[in-house]
Amino acid sequence: MPKSQFMDPDVLRKPGFVEFEPIPVNQYNKTIKEESKNFSKDDFLRIYRDMAIIREFEQMLLDIKTKSEYQGINYNNPGPAHLSLGQEASAVGQAYLLDKNDYIFGSHRSHGEILAKGLSCIHKLDDKELLADMEGFFDGRTYKVVEGKEKDKGNVKDLAIDFLLYGALAEIFARETGFNKGLGGSMHAFFTPFGIYPNNAIVGGSATIAMGASLFKRINGKPGVVVSNVGDASMGRGPVWEALNMGAMDQITQLWEEGHNKGLPIIFNFFNNLYGMGGQTVGETMAYNILARVGAGVSPTQLHAERVDGYNPLAVIDAMRRKLEIINNQGGPVLMDTLTYRMTGHSPSDASTYRTKEEVEKWAEHDVLVNFEKKLVEAKIAKADDFAAMRADITERMIKIVKLAIDDNVSPRMDLVKNPNIIADLMFSNQKIAKMEDRTPDVLMPKEENPRVQKIAKKERFGIDANGKPVSKNKVYQLRDGLFEAIIDKFYEDPTLVAYGEDNRDWGGAYAVYQGLTESIPYHRFFNSPISESAIAGSAVGYAMSGGRVIAEIMYCDFIGCCGDEIFNQLAKWQSMSAGVLKMPVVIRVSVGSKYGAQHSQDWTSMCAHVPGLKVVFPVTPYDAKGIMNSALNGTDPVIVFESQRIYDVGEQFHEGGVPEGYYEVEIGEPDVKKEGKDVTILTIGATLYRALDAAKELEEKYGISCEVIDARTIVPFNYEKVLESVKKTGRIVLASDACTRGSALNTIAQNITEMAFDYLDAPPVVVGAQNWITPCHELETAFFPQKEWIIDAIHEKILPLPGYVATHNFTETEQIRKNKLGL
Amino acid sequence: MATPVIMPRQGQSVESCIIAKWHKKKGDQINVGDQLFTYETDKATFDEEATVAGTLLEVFFEEGDDVECLLNVCVIGEAGEDVSAFRPAGDDVAAPVAAETAPQAAAPAATEVVAAKVSDTAKDNLFISPRAKNHAEKLGVDTRFAEGSGPNGRVIERDIEALAQSGVAFTKAAQTAAAGSSDKFEGTGIGGRVTTGDLKKPVAQAVAEAMNAQEGVAYTDVPLTNIRKVISKAMHNSLASTAQLTLNTSFDATEIMAYRKKLKANAEKLGLGNITLNDIVLYAVSRTLLAHQDLNANMLDDKMRIFNHVNLGVAVDTPRGLMVPNIFCAELKSLAEISAETKDLAKACQGGTISPDLLSGGSFTVTNLGSFGIESFTPVLNAPQTGILGVDTIVQKAKEVDGEIVFYPAMGLSLTFDHRAVDGAPAAKFLQDLKANLENFSVLLAK
Repeated sequence: MPKSQFMDPDVLRKPGFVEFEPIPVNQYNKTIKEESKNFSKDDFLRIYRDMAIIREFEQMLLDIKTKSEYQGINYNNPGPAHLSLGQEASAVGQAYLLDKNDYIFGSHRSHGEILAKGLSCIHKLDDKELLADMEGFFDGRTYKVVEGKEKDKGNVKDLAIDFLLYGALAEIFARETGFNKGLGGSMHAFFTPFGIYPNNAIVGGSATIAMGASLFKRINGKPGVVVSNVGDASMGRGPVWEALNMGAMDQITQLWEEGHNKGLPIIFNFFNNLYGMGGQTVGETMAYNILARVGAGVSPTQLHAERVDGYNPLAVIDAMRRKLEIINNQGGPVLMDTLTYRMTGHSPSDASTYRTKEEVEKWAEHDVLVNFEKKLVEAKIAKADDFAAMRADITERMIKIVKLAIDDNVSPRMDLVKNPNIIADLMFSNQKIAKMEDRTPDVLMPKEENPRVQKIAKKERFGIDANGKPVSKNKVYQLRDGLFEAIIDKFYEDPTLVAYGEDNRDWGGAYAVYQGLTESIPYHRFFNSPISESAIAGSAVGYAMSGGRVIAEIMYCDFIGCCGDEIFNQLAKWQSMSAGVLKMPVVIRVSVGSKYGAQHSQDWTSMCAHVPGLKVVFPVTPYDAKGIMNSALNGTDPVIVFESQRIYDVGEQFHEGGVPEGYYEVEIGEPDVKKEGKDVTILTIGATLYRALDAAKELEEKYGISCEVIDARTIVPFNYEKVLESVKKTGRIVLASDACTRGSALNTIAQNITEMAFDYLDAPPVVVGAQNWITPCHELETAFFPQKEWIIDAIHEKILPLPGYVATHNFTETEQIRKNKLGL
Repeated sequence: MATPVIMPRQGQSVESCIIAKWHKKKGDQINVGDQLFTYETDKATFDEEATVAGTLLEVFFEEGDDVECLLNVCVIGEAGEDVSAFRPAGDDVAAPVAAETAPQAAAPAATEVVAAKVSDTAKDNLFISPRAKNHAEKLGVDTRFAEGSGPNGRVIERDIEALAQSGVAFTKAAQTAAAGSSDKFEGTGIGGRVTTGDLKKPVAQAVAEAMNAQEGVAYTDVPLTNIRKVISKAMHNSLASTAQLTLNTSFDATEIMAYRKKLKANAEKLGLGNITLNDIVLYAVSRTLLAHQDLNANMLDDKMRIFNHVNLGVAVDTPRGLMVPNIFCAELKSLAEISAETKDLAKACQGGTISPDLLSGGSFTVTNLGSFGIESFTPVLNAPQTGILGVDTIVQKAKEVDGEIVFYPAMGLSLTFDHRAVDGAPAAKFLQDLKANLENFSVLLAK
């Protein structure tokens, strides 16, 4: 909605046609002779060698999976193996020109890609850099296994090839010496020092993440391109389309500032092997006929789309050369439809019932290795014997690597008996890093001149005046101010920090948290995203794993459903799946709605709390909002920050002295006693706090029951000590939040309290959550969300009968059983 | 229809009674109002009369048996009726029957107690919160007696608090040792707690032992009555566990004697002719004591329980032995009220109808041996009370007034106090104040 762009009806209503340029299909037709000026003999042979290494690697895995034996070595590998036999030319052709600054992201079928990229990097890096990369990785743990075992003694590149193959295979075999300590496995192996970024077991999962990595490169002026390698069938997935669109969004070239306004350096490459598992993408499950066609639908550049013959390594290299040039000159994104064919099934258990033997045999006649060798022999580049010798050498190397990778002494698995916390310790990085890079942040004015900063300076930072009266909404420092202050401070500190989401910029975010930020922060650091929650969250993951810090906003927390994979599978898991190689300094801001009905008013905290790897916080006072946001933004872990639309304007009522102007942190994981008491503890998550305080007041005034009210503030992590201390004192606890009761995180907390304070309890902990219904319209919300009366009812019915009290809601056991029986 | 007769519960703190005598035997014809049996608590004796007519079909307990309150003692009905349903059997008492029949047999006040008792005996069904359980253990309270006020009748912390206030308490060691025992114990520990010492001789066992000892020839071994045993234990405990000593003084009784004379002379007009000198002393004590709170107190092991009111014990001699009923909140009562109440209490004690609830909870005791001509004595503390005042006889004493020797009636006062709680000087100060009040009684009355 930038005002600089005029939506002129005189222009927009004119008749015309959308016109397309022809999209090239397999246009490469050079001979070896013609290519001889581009490739030396060594280059040609290295291309062959790299393809042969991949072939042998995948064949070895196939043998082990199907026969539990390779070259006389017996081994059983229970893990997955999605092999890319037949796709070697595509992988090697793509990697040929890429170096360590270029990032590739892959799929479940990416062994070939990581080996090709690694081999290409090894060729380009000098010995010193190679040694540093190998020795520095996990303190040389992987390197030590292969060190000195190279055939050509003292040849660092030879050693590095051993290292690459070993690191990948040990990872596939779930060894602690693998590239990700065995926590990633076959579908997730990667090695960032060579620019090999995570492969992804979610179909199309890499598209949004790779796009985020390219955002990082463009925004922070980093060299290199990013390649998103996904399969043809992933074009059926929404997040892939979202990534294509967001990656190509107009604003980058039209609105972003000089130096950042070139299209994103990303190649959306589709390794098109014609099948998604058994689903045939052409003729059956998809509509594009030729995948490259899709590029024409995304943007006027048609994403420079092209179909490339992935059975010819030289055709792929040629295309990559032209695409890299486009990215360097005018910018991306680029779409490549790299046609290929997998000779084996989706996995070893695939009987290939969906294709004929004739089809497979026909493709075998086009075998890349056989044909490339034949062409090189014909062109007299090398002799057949040279290739045979090369293959023998590769087999010998592979035997050596397999022996090392299956040897439990040199390649042990994580010993979870001896060190039961190895994985636990990797769930969060728990670091405090003020800025991800040390340079001057791009801003538009000194912070002090920002109009919102100036406005806040005039506000009362404590919400209660000297007479005990609440300060008026217009004068009080509100919760949204707390969030804003933490965020703008970080924008002026961490140059890599970016924030984006729907309607963030001029609108100021749907709830005015960002109001005034536009004046200070340039477009390329703070922008409106398309309504593409998957792309928003997924790109944040890619941006962070590339080394930046992100605040992604997805408005209503209900929309987490639109980016479930990106938050639950990607954001939550990459730190631990990478064995700590990657950091994930991402804050996802979501807002719990009210007044907006069933699809805009549910509290999703419990769903986020369920998936390991996410920190989940819900500050509900201005002091906590600023302090927790500071902690989240200063940390290195993904934090889902829940906000409540009921209380963006609330003033600080608890922290004496009000919200500090300077920097402070509220430690994530520490609940806070908002009111002391001795008879009953009420623990709340979210805005329910204020209703609990009302209940406490009534219990005290009418029934002489003194309540201790604790605000959880955080759901994950959660320090029980303070709560247990309270419960041991009072002997009674009610837990309340706006999340639907069934599966609410409160039940987990209640259960833990029961276990840890059982002997102190005078009654079981009672959970008061929202009904297990849809959220009704605003006028009926009091029947859905926990109210003051519900809390008192629960105490009366289940904990401490209050003399003379008549419950207004049915909290009896019979009702509990009835409702659950009905799934309510 | 056969009707069981239960052992009544005479007051909240009574758990069991001993059957002292059967007046009827199995098979006897019973009329309404017939005495069935005599039973005694540790402090009083009662007669149980029949409320239904019929044949005494079965007697479940014998003389000397210590019977838990509310258990069926006997059954009256028509000859040949089956009584097995009414037979109490230890902890497996047919609780529902007791609950059903209790309203018929017991006084209305006992009804709610019956309900509690059902849960007492049906231990398996006792729902109690962990916190309440722990709290009970800390206070040494037997949770079986708690009445659950929580959801679904769950015993919760506040119920234990209430129980602790009412006083059925065990020391921790005693509770452990007594676990599983169905015996009833008398508490001699702090605040009436049952101690391990009390466990050694459950009441029934002690009675049985006494009975067996009746074999001597040169003498007769008279088994101690329950009340005697209590007195003996209390007295010994008092002397053994406190640091008591006695201060003696006397005061000029001229004014109180004149006052009494006036009341007597106007007996018909005022109706106050029954007020005795002892009543006057009680009145004066009740007014003096609040200013000396350490003497209006109970000495517990690690604390002093200071009473806000004067619960004045009055020692009463009865055929069964010494009893000390209490005038509660005596400082709020007029002389006439104190006088009347003292007489009622004494009568009830002598008649064996005193409610056991009136026999505990005292803060100070007055004992009078003056009528026996005793000039001075050493009263034994009614532990855990910290003071007891002995009232002595009146003797003529001489004193010098304006150079002349004059005689006056001097009434002796003997104050025994617990030196652990009170020092000599404050105790003497109390006597001094009391003496001044008695010598200037008309002034005290005006206050």
